[in-house]
Amino acid sequence: MMMRVIAVTVILVAMAASAAPKKQAGLVETSPVVVQDLAATRIEGEKRFQTNCGRCHMLPHKFPPRMMGTIVRHMRVRALITDEDMRYILTYMTE
Amino acid sequence: MPFVQGGQTTLVSIFSPVVLLPLGDKWLIESRGAFEGDFVRRDGTGPFGGKVQQSLEYLQVDYIANPYLTVTVGRFLTPFGIYNERLYPVWIRDLQADPIILPLEHGSSDGAMLRGGFSVAHNLNLNYAGYFSTLSTNNTLASDREIGGRLGAFFPNQRVEIGFSVQHLLQKNRANRFGTHFEWQPRALPLDIRSEFADAEFGRGYWIEPALRLNAFSHAQILAHTQMVARFQQFFAKPGIANGDVPDVNTKESEIGINYYFMDGLRAVSSYGRQFSSEGNANIWTVGITYRFAFPLGPGGD
Repeated sequence: MMMRVIAVTVILVAMAASAAPKKQAGLVETSPVVVQDLAATRIEGEKRFQTNCGRCHMLPHKFPPRMMGTIVRHMRVRALITDEDMRYILTYMTE
Repeated sequence: MPFVQGGQTTLVSIFSPVVLLPLGDKWLIESRGAFEGDFVRRDGTGPFGGKVQQSLEYLQVDYIANPYLTVTVGRFLTPFGIYNERLYPVWIRDLQADPIILPLEHGSSDGAMLRGGFSVAHNLNLNYAGYFSTLSTNNTLASDREIGGRLGAFFPNQRVEIGFSVQHLLQKNRANRFGTHFEWQPRALPLDIRSEFADAEFGRGYWIEPALRLNAFSHAQILAHTQMVARFQQFFAKPGIANGDVPDVNTKESEIGINYYFMDGLRAVSSYGRQFSSEGNANIWTVGITYRFAFPLGPGGD
């Protein structure tokens, strides 16, 4: 009897675990509030891209996030972009 | 690209690789070299020939100490004016010919630099760079012993930047050099207006360059991808002090150009200019293609 209870419990736990939504690495929680914040951040990021980066060049196509992080760090040093602007622009360029 | 000045055609090819290596969250090693081939006709009418010149424009280590300060050590682009640091790469510049006063900005320096950019008010960002460089007579790492700096004020709402640069040579004639720059990108039009002034021991001069994207007037593809650009510049030579990189006499030059953007990083460029000086007037033509691409050198690019 005890073995059956344990077996059923394990099966139930396994089913619950497999049914739970998986959070994928690199993705943001998709609650409405977060989505709204992300949209606002992207809009602000686009504005700051145009204000800073758009002074010298157009919008490049998107690179993988880690590569884009390196490029934005390079441009922060080269073009003396503020820390806050860099964060908005990085979000805009990678999300 | 073909570059024609005063009837002499030069085929110019430039390959300029940039290597970036981030270390942790605060460090960056960055470098840019250039391989430039200037090929001219042998004996005036023969086949094109010439050597490919190599140069190391910067090889620097950056430490981002905090939001206000980045420390740079190594060989870096001299922070004087804006053209040398921001507009020099062929895929960024709107006209391929260098401004006459560019040699006054002293391409690269070997030493240490403090720099940063930060917001001081709702509509005012300040940026600064101060450096010391040491003398190097090595061909690849040529540098003067000097100190200098640049201070810029950027107004994000108006997209206007004004700035001031200074250099003091700590060798030879211990000359002082001054410069100012101005940039404006009005929000109402896809228009860039850039300008610089520089004053050095060899002479002084200025350039002003407006560039307009035609998508302001039509969304037809051919116009939406086209940019019109012009530059007017003057150089006033100082008598008795010769420098091979700038004219020995007063010089005036006007240029117009058309650029067509096929896609991100790929564009066709063309321009025509007329140079006026007491040594003779000359036409300047350029036609070419610029292409910029990027790829990860190691794993983990994504």
